[in-house]
Amino acid sequence: MYAPFELEMPGDLAGALDALAAGRDSKTVPIAGGTNLIVDMRAKRERPDRVVALGEVGELRGMDFGAERISIGGRTTVTDLLRSPEVAEAAPSLIESARLFAGLMVRNTATVAGNIACGSPAADLVPPLLSLDADVTLASAAGTRTVPLDEYFLGYKRDVRRPDELITRISWPRLPVPSVNTFYKLARRKGDAITVTGVALTLCAAGGTCTKARIALGAVAPIVLRARQAEALLEGRALTPALIDRAAAAAAAASSPIDDVRASAGYRLHTVEVLTRRLVSRAWDRFDRQGDQGTAASAAVPAHEVTAQRRAGSDGRSA
Amino acid sequence: MTGITSEAPSRPNVRFRQVGRPLTRTDAPGKVAGRTPYAGDYVMPDMLHMRVVRADVASARLVRLDVSRARALQGVACALTAADLPDRAVSTDIPGQVGRKRLDTGQQILVRERVRYFGEPLALIAAETRDVADHALELVEAELEPIPGVYDPVEAMQPGAPIVTEPDNIVAERRIRKGDVEAGFAEADVIVENTFRTPFQEHAFLEPEVGLAWVDENDVVNIRVSTQVIEHFRPIADAIGVPHNKVRIRGALVGGGFGGKEDLTVEIYLALLARRTGRPVRLEYTREDSFVGHGKRHPFVLTYRTGVTRDGRITALDVRMVADSGAYVFLSPYVLLYALVAAPGPYRVDNLDVFARAVATNNMFTSAFRGFGALQACAAYEQQMDEVAKAIGLDRMELRRRNFLKTGEPMSTGFVPPSAIWTDRCAERAWAALGEPTPARGPIRIGRGIGCYQQSYGRLTFLHDTSEAWVGVEMDGTVVVRSGVTDIGAGQVSALGQIAVEALGTTLDNVVVYNSDSAVTPLAGTTTATRALYMTGNAVKQAAEAVRARLVERAARAFGVAPDDVDMGFNEVFVAERPDRSMPLVELVRICGAEGIHRSELAMFRAPFTDFLDPETGQGQAHPDYAYGAHAVEVAVDVDTGEVEVLKSVAAHDVGQCINPAAVEGQIQGGAQNGQGYALSEEMLYEEGRLITPSFSEYLMPTAMDMPKVECIILESRSGVGPYGAKGIGEPAMTPVAPAIANAVADAIGVRVFEMPITPERIVRALKRRDGTGRLDSPA
Ligand SMILES: Cc1cc2nc3c(=O)[nH]c(=O)nc-3n(C[C@H](O)[C@H](O)[C@H](O)COP(=O)(O)OP(=O)(O)OC[C@H]3O[C@@H](n4cnc5c(N)ncnc54)[C@H](O)[C@@H]3O)c2cc1C
Repeated sequence: MYAPFELEMPGDLAGALDALAAGRDSKTVPIAGGTNLIVDMRAKRERPDRVVALGEVGELRGMDFGAERISIGGRTTVTDLLRSPEVAEAAPSLIESARLFAGLMVRNTATVAGNIACGSPAADLVPPLLSLDADVTLASAAGTRTVPLDEYFLGYKRDVRRPDELITRISWPRLPVPSVNTFYKLARRKGDAITVTGVALTLCAAGGTCTKARIALGAVAPIVLRARQAEALLEGRALTPALIDRAAAAAAAASSPIDDVRASAGYRLHTVEVLTRRLVSRAWDRFDRQGDQGTAASAAVPAHEVTAQRRAGSDGRSA
Repeated sequence: MTGITSEAPSRPNVRFRQVGRPLTRTDAPGKVAGRTPYAGDYVMPDMLHMRVVRADVASARLVRLDVSRARALQGVACALTAADLPDRAVSTDIPGQVGRKRLDTGQQILVRERVRYFGEPLALIAAETRDVADHALELVEAELEPIPGVYDPVEAMQPGAPIVTEPDNIVAERRIRKGDVEAGFAEADVIVENTFRTPFQEHAFLEPEVGLAWVDENDVVNIRVSTQVIEHFRPIADAIGVPHNKVRIRGALVGGGFGGKEDLTVEIYLALLARRTGRPVRLEYTREDSFVGHGKRHPFVLTYRTGVTRDGRITALDVRMVADSGAYVFLSPYVLLYALVAAPGPYRVDNLDVFARAVATNNMFTSAFRGFGALQACAAYEQQMDEVAKAIGLDRMELRRRNFLKTGEPMSTGFVPPSAIWTDRCAERAWAALGEPTPARGPIRIGRGIGCYQQSYGRLTFLHDTSEAWVGVEMDGTVVVRSGVTDIGAGQVSALGQIAVEALGTTLDNVVVYNSDSAVTPLAGTTTATRALYMTGNAVKQAAEAVRARLVERAARAFGVAPDDVDMGFNEVFVAERPDRSMPLVELVRICGAEGIHRSELAMFRAPFTDFLDPETGQGQAHPDYAYGAHAVEVAVDVDTGEVEVLKSVAAHDVGQCINPAAVEGQIQGGAQNGQGYALSEEMLYEEGRLITPSFSEYLMPTAMDMPKVECIILESRSGVGPYGAKGIGEPAMTPVAPAIANAVADAIGVRVFEMPITPERIVRALKRRDGTGRLDSPA
């Protein structure tokens, strides 16, 4: 099934970083949940010589909820996210994503760092984290550095991480009040499906104008990317349907999707536009309705309300 | 001890004590506790592990096949190619109890010269370990010279199209001509014509194909395999060139069949290498092997032309069908026949012309799949009914009501089904059960649809189907049933147990059913065609009632009453209405034992035997009988993204008589899911015949998150030709689901997507085409 490899199971972070540093000459890779790596090894897309398992590395677990920033360990699993009321408050989009992430068994083991490091444009935790202005902390035996997630990806499955580095933490600032932070995963089925188009949005407002907009798009370009032009159109203005239309068109223009077995490029462009328009206008309506009183916690705007209600109803199964 | 018993069977119990109850199935405890061995759990000492080397193109000439490096690898016991085999084909025809064989349906065992589909086996490897076999696989060198192939059945019929197998690409052609179609169209006020397309479908059983073979001390090749059909020992023996009694199939509980284990899968490869190496060999398909290793559901292109009067009477129907048979024939001619017979659906159509063709392509070969052609016909005729209703401005249900075939009326082939036709009741119940409509909101539109159907149960009557079962009562009053029937997870074996204990006055925990061994258990025929309960249920009932008659006769003497006054139940034998005059069943059995009264019986049930349908008109009897029912759904469609959510799913089927209602419900739930995937999300994409969706990350069946609660309404007309008036539910449960969903989507968005699966993208395209808001252009 797999080409033979050596397995290391360090007991702490220093051990893991040493093992990676020692393996610089061979093909050495870390493994967290293994939900990407094992699949790739089985298909012989990856043939590592040494695999460093992070299962025993306690430093990579744990979440910190500070007054200013939230910080989670790289080995935080998708299930960990779903079990945390603090994450639900600090990052509604991440929870919406986690809820539709894979199936229960995969969620129990798949990690946030693995999702980022796999470099897939369809990685579902990345658009929410991008919309939250997240930073990634990378550590190696030589030292630690922090890079904005926004600058982490270089191209399709290419990133700034050196082979001897680990993603140790992911952090993001608390959302201002009022703000809306939301994610919509469009896929060919609800459970266990690879995303066709993913749109994450953070929208903040004050005094009737949009003070901040973050639009992150998944599965429509070689990397998960921000629709900067669309964001710029919205920021500093009172949103109107015409403006929102222009922003949605700008988001589509920022995308460069391909045809694949899930959908055509044309459909992806169409849905980027439709979903961006929908998420932004619903978020804006919410500010209107609540007179700028919306909070991050209560502001998860369902993109698809009938569906969203049913999903909420099926939480027992899904989360 | 063969044939129908000469003694008159006793009257069945007036009051059911076992049948009709949702009893815990006999196979449940073992499965729940993980004790039940499946075919893949069997191992033997000294066993070798096999892999199949496959072609990675769909149409090519094999120029050179070199297995020398694989053979030289340490741990490889055997690498076999066509050069090592006699030039013999495997029959892919239906293996009937009568052993009929049509040579022209044969498939080469391994590619000799011509590759006709992607994944066609080139060589077989057997090695000491699975890892070595995997490695050896990579060392086989195949030089394949591409040959232009044909990948669309309509193109394959054009002059000049590449020929898959000489003489031409038409694999089968069938026709129904009934009444006067021209006169019928002349009488019509409106003529509605539409073309519908249905897709490939993968069976996607949980358990991929797997088996273990060894040669025993009598030189018999034993094959423990996951199969729906143990009667395959015959074509296996023919293919490897040994007498029929030198191959023995021992089944196991099957981890899902759905028709995908109706044809041979791994058996011949196992048999060949077990004989060649003299060692036990095991072959387990990977999921990727499974995707290319067994035949799929036939894609169909169906053109329906319906003549109808303003008041909704169908005056004529003309149907053209083209089925993609793929690279080999397999069961295509039969699938086509089912589609032909089912063409008008459960409606009375006196002027009918159906012309159906199965066409060879270099796509994956297609064969049996739950619904077997009748399902594809239903996908079209039920969508067409909605389109006809729309064209004349009549309510969809009302159009159906006015045309439903009624009990005692002749169907498409002129045959009058012997049982009740309760389509109307089923349709009304299912439709009403949808209840209050869900309100539409913004871009979310709500729609409803219904699918009604006619689906045969039991095999084609010209195949002269029979089934045998042996039933005996042990000295302690427990019951043994022996019958070759395979249990593919639907509770086939448990139902037989329930029937036996009903007749023999005991309870389900007192029976053991031995099944699925071609050498030891009486041959019962295939578990396919919704026939297991009908055929083997009747055989078990016949055998058990013969034994019961002898027991009752002896008890009557003991009680000094007439046999008709004796009843049995819950291990007691008593005078009816006089429970004080009773004796334990075990007591009666002891008396019978001491007196040499025969406590067992081997019975054969014979389905009606008929000739083939008239080749010109398609008139005559095709099947023993038919099942009828309906499925209704409500969907929510997002008109911006094209996403569909099934909100409500209601099935109403006349099953004749439930043997085990819990098992019936299981079939209905599964059918609803299977049909929903077929309608909406399951898609096998091929590029030049190469499957590009060979895994469950691309081939998307509905998950628990995608399924609504499925409501099951079970009706019992007690009119079927199965035991106690049972019909069947295995295939019917799925047949009407997809068109119901298609109709609901069309109802929601006001435009029809004529091709399944109805993907979000196809919905958006259809809406844009209608609204003239551009196309989904790819970026320049
Ligand atoms: C059935 C199934 C369904 C899935 N569904 C989804 C889905 O809905 N959405 C989605 O986004 N993904 C999905 N995935 C993909 C996968 O589960 C996720 O990408 C997951 O987050 C990967 O995390 P992991 O811990 O399993 O990573 P691994 O497989 O262990 O590793 C993935 C990559 O990241 C590297 N890596 C792991 N940890 C670190 C670290 N701390 N620092 C640096 N590099 C690291 C590894 O070397 C490897 O290259 C699915 C996978 C499967 C098998």
